[in-house]
Amino acid sequence: MRMIKALTAIAAMILIAACSNDQQAAAPATTTVTPGSVADFRQNVGDRVFFDTDQSTIREDGRQTLNRQAEWLKKYGNYQVTVEGHCDERGTREYNLALGERRANAARQYLVAQGIPAARIKTISYGKERPDPVGSDEAAWARNRRAVTALQ
Amino acid sequence: MMLPRRQTILGGVALAAGAAAPAHAQLTIDMTKPSFEPVPIAIVDFKGDKVGADIAGVVRNDLQNSGLFRSIAPSAFIQQNMDPNQPPRFPDWRSVGAAGVVVGQVTQAGGNIKVDFRLWDVVVGQQATGLSFTSQPDKWRRLAHIIADAIYKRVTGEEGYFDTRVAYVAESGPLGSRVKRIAIMDQDGFNTRYITDGKTIALTPRFSPTLQEIVYMAYGENNAPPRVYLQNVESNRRELLGNFPGMSFAPRFSPDGTKVVMSISADGNTDIYEMDLRGRALRRLTSGPAIDTSPCYSNDGSQIVFNSDRGGTQQLYVMGAGGGGERRISFGTGRYATPVWSPRGDFVAFTKISGDGFGIGVMRSDGSGERMLANGFLVEGPTWAPNGRVLAFFRQQPNSGGRAGSVTLHQIDITGRFERQMPTQGDASDPAWSPLIPQ
Amino acid sequence: MAAFELKQSIAMKKLPLRLLILVALALPTAATAQRGDPVYVEDRLNQLQQAISLLTGQVEQLQYRTQQLQQQMEKMQADYEFRLDHLEKGGGGRPAGAPAARPTTPSIAAAPSGAAPPAAAAGAADQVYNDAFKKLQDGDYAGAEKGFRAFVQRNPQHALAGNAQYWLGETYYARRDYQNAMTAFAEGYKAYKSSPKGPDNLLKLGVTLATLGRKPDACAIFARFAQDYPRATDLQKRRIEQERQKNGCG
Repeated sequence: MRMIKALTAIAAMILIAACSNDQQAAAPATTTVTPGSVADFRQNVGDRVFFDTDQSTIREDGRQTLNRQAEWLKKYGNYQVTVEGHCDERGTREYNLALGERRANAARQYLVAQGIPAARIKTISYGKERPDPVGSDEAAWARNRRAVTALQ
Repeated sequence: MMLPRRQTILGGVALAAGAAAPAHAQLTIDMTKPSFEPVPIAIVDFKGDKVGADIAGVVRNDLQNSGLFRSIAPSAFIQQNMDPNQPPRFPDWRSVGAAGVVVGQVTQAGGNIKVDFRLWDVVVGQQATGLSFTSQPDKWRRLAHIIADAIYKRVTGEEGYFDTRVAYVAESGPLGSRVKRIAIMDQDGFNTRYITDGKTIALTPRFSPTLQEIVYMAYGENNAPPRVYLQNVESNRRELLGNFPGMSFAPRFSPDGTKVVMSISADGNTDIYEMDLRGRALRRLTSGPAIDTSPCYSNDGSQIVFNSDRGGTQQLYVMGAGGGGERRISFGTGRYATPVWSPRGDFVAFTKISGDGFGIGVMRSDGSGERMLANGFLVEGPTWAPNGRVLAFFRQQPNSGGRAGSVTLHQIDITGRFERQMPTQGDASDPAWSPLIPQ
Repeated sequence: MAAFELKQSIAMKKLPLRLLILVALALPTAATAQRGDPVYVEDRLNQLQQAISLLTGQVEQLQYRTQQLQQQMEKMQADYEFRLDHLEKGGGGRPAGAPAARPTTPSIAAAPSGAAPPAAAAGAADQVYNDAFKKLQDGDYAGAEKGFRAFVQRNPQHALAGNAQYWLGETYYARRDYQNAMTAFAEGYKAYKSSPKGPDNLLKLGVTLATLGRKPDACAIFARFAQDYPRATDLQKRRIEQERQKNGCG
C-alpha cells in the first residue's frame, strides 16, 4: 500500500519534471534574455532541482539540471551562489530545517564535483518556511522539496 | 496581614476566618477518574472598586477555559449585594446549582491594591479557602490569575497554570514571504508584545526556567544562516549563542537554566550540542551522519529526548544528558518528532506523522503507553503547561488556491478533552508555555 | 570551543564491518558515473549511509521485538513454575507449606448450607479462574484482567484468590501499565501474604517499583523477602538477589 503510494508520488513527480523540462526546452526559441544574466540562468538552465519525500539524493533529472548549472557557472565565473534547501510542509519545523540543509549540501557537493570551486557556493536551509508554490497537495509538495541555486 | 514584598505581586496570605473545610465530593475533582463533570462555580463580582468586576471576569474566564469548571452566569445569581466577609446564603446558591461560590473585595493599600477572596463550599456550607494578595494597581490581571490558580488548586489538588505566559511565532503576510516574529502574551491572550522585529524569520521560542530569558532561532540578514539567540524579555537585550559556520537551531534550556541544548549543522549533517551558559563551553552530544534534532531535557535534567533519522525514519531516542546510552523509544507506525518531556516527568509529548496526517500524543519515557490526544491535517509542536496536565500546540489548515490556511494555537487536557483555541493576534505557531511566574 | 568538531563521521558503531562490506558490494553502481569520479564517490557514500540507516532501523526493531519476547518468555516461565509447583503439591491450589491451615473453599459468600461447600458455585469460580488464565496465555490481557478481577471480587476467600490477584498484576505488567501493576501486586502482597503466590507477588511488586524509577521503595520491598518468606524456593531467592543487585540495593 505504502509502496504503491510512493510509486504514484514518484510517477507524478516525473510527470511534473517532464513538463517543466519541456517548457525549458521551448524557452530559448521564444524569449530574448541576455546570456549570462540571472534571467538566463533561471529560464535556460533551471535554478532548482527536486527531491523525493524525506530524501536528499539528487535524482537523475536533478543531475541534468545541475550539470547545466555547472557549465553555466564555469562560463560566467563572476557569480557567487547560495544553494537554498527547502522542504514540503509535511514535516516538523526543526527536522525540516535539518533536511533542507542536507538537500542544499547534496546539490552543493554535486556542483563541486563538477568542478565549481567550493568557495563559490554557500548553502542555507529554509526548511518549510518559504513554500513555492503555496499549496497543500501532492503536486505542490513535490515542487517544494527543492534545492534552489540563487546567484549573487 | 502582609508578607515581605517582592517587586510587584505580594505573597498570598491565608484568611483566618472559618476552619478549613474537609474535601467534599462536589467541590473537588478527581482527575484520575475516566470521566467527571465540570464543577459548577459562581464567581461574584469583587466589591470595593471598579476593578473588582474585571478581576472576577478574568477568574471566570480562566476557570471556564480549563474545562474542569462551569462558570455560572451572574445573571442567574439569586443573592445580590453580598457582604464579602459574611458567609453566603447557601440555599440560594444551592438552588442555582453552584458547588462553590467565590466572593472578594478590593481595597486601596498605600498606592497598591489589596484583594481578599474566599471560596465557599456550598455543599457543606463552609469556607474552602481564603487568601489575600497585594499588587500595584496595573497588575490586577495577574492578581486575578493567581486567584484562579488558588481556586483550581483547592478544587483539583493540582497546581494551577493561569499565572503564566505563552511565547509563540506570530505570522503575517503571504506564505511565500511570511513575516515570522516572536511574541509573548499572557496565557489568556492578553498583554501581547513582540520580542523580535520581523526583519528576519524567527522561530521556536523557549522559556528559561526563570522566565526572564528566552532562547530562539533567527535568520541573519542577507541570507546569513540561522543562529540561536538568548534574549532578556524585560530589557530586550539579545546575545548570539555561539557563532558557528553552519546553522544552529532547535535550542532548549536545561531545567536549572544553566545550559542550552541545540542542533548545529555542518556540511549538511546535523548533531546535538550542549552549551554551558556560564563559560559558553560547547560539548558535542551526538555524532554520525543522521539528523539529530529537537532535543529536550528530562524534568530532572539527567536525560535528553530527541528525534533522529538514524534508523531510516524520524524516531524518538533518549540518551544521558552528557550524551551516550542512546536508545530508541518510539516503535509505533509513522514518524515521531518534537519530543517534549513533561515538567512532572511522567510523559513525553510528541508530534506524530502517519498516513492519516499529523497528531499530538504522549507516551511514557520508556516508550510505553502511547496515547494520541489531537489529530489533524497539520498539528505540531506540543508544549507543557507547568502543571503537566495541559498541553498547547499549533494547528495549520491546508493552503488552497495559493492562499495560506490559518495557523492557530490550541490547548488540550492531557486526557485529550477540552481542546480550545487560544486567542492570539493573527496567525500563530510554535507555542512555548512558561513556568509559573514567580510571585 | 575545543569540543566543537566539524569533522563528519560515518556511524559504523553498531554494525560489524563485514556486514558493511557486503552491503557495499550489493549496492548497484550508478549508471552514469565512473569510478574515481567525485560524483560516483558521493553517490556510493550516500547509498552506504542509506543502507546503514535502513539496517540501524531494522536492528532497533529487532532489539525491541526480542525484548518483548523475553518478557513474554519470563511470564511463561513463571507460569510453568506455578503449574509444576501446583502438580507437585497435589493440586487444589493449597497454600504452600500450610496445607491444612485453610480449607480449600473456605466461605463462598453466605453459603446456604454450612455442611458442604456448594460445588456448583465452587466449580463456577474455578471456571472463571481457568478462563482468565487461558486468556492470559493467549495474550488477551484485557480479557484476563477482567476475569481475574471478577474472580477476586467475588471470591476473596477462595484458595486461588491470591493467585488471581497476582495474575491480575501480570496482566497490567504485560501491557506496561506499571502503575496499575504496582497497585495490583501491592494489594496481593497485603491481602494474600501467605498465598502460594505471595513470594512472586512481592518480587514483582519490587520489580515494578524499580521500573517506575522508585528504586529505594523497590529495595525496601526486596529487603522484606527473607523475613516474610524464609521457605521460598531457591529460584525465588536467586531472583530476589538478582533484582537487588540490578537495582543497587545496599
